[in-house]
Amino acid sequence: MGALGSALLLATFVVCSYAAAISVVGARRHSRRLIESGIGAFYLVSALMIAASAVMLNAFLTGDFTIKYVVHYSDSVQPLFYKITSYWGGLDGSIMFWVFLLSVFGSIAVYVNRERHRELIPYVVATIAVVQMFFLYLMVVHKNPFTTYLANAPGEGQGLNPLLQNFYMAIHPPSLYTGFVGMTIPFAFGIAALITGHLDDSWLRAVRRWTMFAWLFLSIGLFLGMIWAYEELGWGGYWAWDPVENAGLLPWFTATAFLHSVMVQERRSMLRVWNVTLVIITFFLTIFGTFMTRSGVVQSVHAFGDDPILAKLFTGFMIAIVTFSFGLVIYRLPLLKSRNELDSWLSREAAFLLNNWILLFAAMFVLFGTMFPTLSEAVTGERLTVAGPFFNKWLTPVGLVMLMLTGVGPLLAWRRSTFKNLADQFLWPVVAGLTSATIAMLVGIPLWASGLCFALCGFVVGTIGQEFWRGAKIRRKNTGTDMLTALIGLVGRNKRRYGGYIVHVGIVLIFFGFAGNARKLDEQVHLTVGQEARIGKYIIRNTGVKVTDDGQKQMTTAWLEVFVDGKQIDGLYPARWAYRHHEQEPTTEVAIRRRPAEDLYATLGGFDLADQSVTLQLVVNPLVNWIWVGFGVMALGTGIALLPERTFAFAVARLPAEAATTTVALLLMLLVAGARPASAQQGMGGTEDTRSSFYARTPFEKQMQHEIVCTCGACGHQNLAECRKDNCSRSHEMRADLAALIDQGKSHDEIIQAFMAKWGGEEMLGAPLDRGFNRMAWFLPYLVGLTSAIAVGFAAVKWTRKAATPDGAPAPIDSALDERIDDELRDLD
Amino acid sequence: MTHRYIKIGVTALVLVGAFAGMLWSTLREGTEYYKNIDEVMVNQQEWHDKQLQLHGYVVPNSILVKQSTLEYKFKVQNNPARASQPGTIVDVTYKGIVPDTFKDEAEVVLKGKLTPTGFHTDPNGVMAKCPSKYEAAEKALAGT
Repeated sequence: MGALGSALLLATFVVCSYAAAISVVGARRHSRRLIESGIGAFYLVSALMIAASAVMLNAFLTGDFTIKYVVHYSDSVQPLFYKITSYWGGLDGSIMFWVFLLSVFGSIAVYVNRERHRELIPYVVATIAVVQMFFLYLMVVHKNPFTTYLANAPGEGQGLNPLLQNFYMAIHPPSLYTGFVGMTIPFAFGIAALITGHLDDSWLRAVRRWTMFAWLFLSIGLFLGMIWAYEELGWGGYWAWDPVENAGLLPWFTATAFLHSVMVQERRSMLRVWNVTLVIITFFLTIFGTFMTRSGVVQSVHAFGDDPILAKLFTGFMIAIVTFSFGLVIYRLPLLKSRNELDSWLSREAAFLLNNWILLFAAMFVLFGTMFPTLSEAVTGERLTVAGPFFNKWLTPVGLVMLMLTGVGPLLAWRRSTFKNLADQFLWPVVAGLTSATIAMLVGIPLWASGLCFALCGFVVGTIGQEFWRGAKIRRKNTGTDMLTALIGLVGRNKRRYGGYIVHVGIVLIFFGFAGNARKLDEQVHLTVGQEARIGKYIIRNTGVKVTDDGQKQMTTAWLEVFVDGKQIDGLYPARWAYRHHEQEPTTEVAIRRRPAEDLYATLGGFDLADQSVTLQLVVNPLVNWIWVGFGVMALGTGIALLPERTFAFAVARLPAEAATTTVALLLMLLVAGARPASAQQGMGGTEDTRSSFYARTPFEKQMQHEIVCTCGACGHQNLAECRKDNCSRSHEMRADLAALIDQGKSHDEIIQAFMAKWGGEEMLGAPLDRGFNRMAWFLPYLVGLTSAIAVGFAAVKWTRKAATPDGAPAPIDSALDERIDDELRDLD
Repeated sequence: MTHRYIKIGVTALVLVGAFAGMLWSTLREGTEYYKNIDEVMVNQQEWHDKQLQLHGYVVPNSILVKQSTLEYKFKVQNNPARASQPGTIVDVTYKGIVPDTFKDEAEVVLKGKLTPTGFHTDPNGVMAKCPSKYEAAEKALAGT
């Protein structure tokens, strides 16, 4: 198997070099046949990489322990899901996964654009192929994931670290990779445009969508990393300015800048050099981030071992990228000259420019801070490091200015704003800002930085609300429909703009969550049994330590009661789990009481079974959940902006007004239904028959059966799903109870409460209130965002099909409406 | 035209000046020396009361916890635990919760200050990594 894999990689490398060479030759000789051949070879690379990935997955699934990589990251008892994710669990495999993604994305990009951007395609193919060649070369000569043991292959693997056996950790790398790899596509088109000299805006149109797509996944990747750190690492925060985290943030800044400055080039044909540069920098930063975190250049807690060979290879590649790309930019400078000048600083393009500078500054600053240890060592010989406070101090004002521009930008007109329309535009947003500032003051929040942040949040929300309101009002007047239909039509007409505003709402929510950080409380306490500690408004009482075992791991759980104003409001169950074969590496299981206003967060630092005492870290994190919600809203906004241009435009233009309203109302209802705790939907199904069988009918019931342990005493505390002995009537009864409760539509917590009351204390809990379910609930906004975007997309496609077939001439109507609305929107600007 | 350039120049100068000033002032208080134990212990006095990030390895069987508290005492050495020579050994005190990966032989970075009686670690100043798998799997993260 290993040999087959290695051979596939080698073959891919050869095909890749062929694709690169033949495309360039074909383009220079204007030979259609050679170019087609290059494209064919390029598709073949994807096919080969898919085959190689299949070999790798097969090795993991069948447990082929002759391959070193498999031995390192898997073992035979690992759950299927983690066997698959082990593919990208290590350095070698992650490089291979990178090439795999790049080949697939590249093929799609080439396939989609091969007619429209015929002149660019050969160079796009060549650029992507060269990047692939670099990574393939790395694998073939230095880090071959298919390396086998020459002799004495071990019979069993070492297994994936328990800390990483976490749902978020499994999907976080692919999400980030998708973002990183996706940035190669815009770069390839940019380079192709530079080489061919086709530097009009057409290459931008080809890559805009890709950048947005990659940006979305980058954002989701960062979000997943944050939520993993928050829930799994147990230090109570979500961002530590670690080099690894910073590596993901750098291209995010520059990609965000690019997404904004693209609009200036489209509208005003300015900033052309700047846009090409941003694309190059973004791509460079993805490579640089990879280099930084893997070659041992930067020391951190996550140091990845020194690898001087890898460092040298990467350095060479990066120098090549910079020289080649910027050489091309300089060569093409005459063609890249701006066609317009900045008319006034009170214009939207100026706001965009400022936003770009600030984003770029943020990127450069984070880069500087991350590289500071290496820099200082090179300059002074002393390794100096900068820590979190340094970043926070600097990036707080930067973030606030960025937030302010989010609100200011849309209020300014293109070219030049007059003072009259400034007053008109700014009035209500400023009122909103001042109102929220006043509220913040009254609550007693300090002005710097969180008070200011709240004020700006209000200001930006005011701006966005005003944009939606005014746009919808005009549309209602012109189309003569109701407000809701007008609003939907508005978003449909100009998805990128209004999708962008929704993304801004998400950003506001995220900042809102950040601002809460100022009031974070953090305490470490030692509690003997019965003792209480106070944090914020909460009083925490230790009621003892319990040890349970589910066969896979031993769980030591602290049972805490939470009181507010002398009344018990909840229980918290932080734990330490020791997995089989990993007894020396217990994992900390955080307990979180999530509420919109604040999270109460408890970590079990240590315990003493003899006297039942525990040491705890208690954290109160105000507003932190708004960050996660904000990411969900951001995903929704990006999803809307990403919807195909034509389909939706057709759909809304041809649709009877009421149909759109009804559909959206329906969708909204569905979303609300979907967003309610999953448990609420469960009770509906199930007849008398199924109910009495007591086999789980729904995933929820199954989960509950696994959570609750039979209390009969005869079966050794098996859970309800497993205890099916005939003589154990108790489990029968309990399952019946459970089924009845579920049919009453009771939620998870209510069922637990009912069981505690009926079957005696907390005996019946297998694991105290598993957090998996809780987690799902908080994963929902993100899911909702994606689902709704997809649903809207499908609806749009369906409408279009109906509309397009009968007369075949909807275009005139469409374009007339198009122009009218565009005019109106422009006036609005 | 020259008038315009002067304006731009002055603005740029002010911005750069403000930037450099702020950077200098924040760097002065925000930086920490990242040192291996051997480097520091050669000339101890010089490092007293400087904010340090000390890199080393936990000496096996040296971790002590005061009963029913969060007070830790342990030793760290310059070289990895399995190396033939341990290198210089330093006594460390710490009060607080330690990460999951903190244990015998673990590679650690400690934030804090060196005093004549040993190294005093700041709250939340213990960063540890697991020698084998954690590092390997973290590469996935790094792959970013």
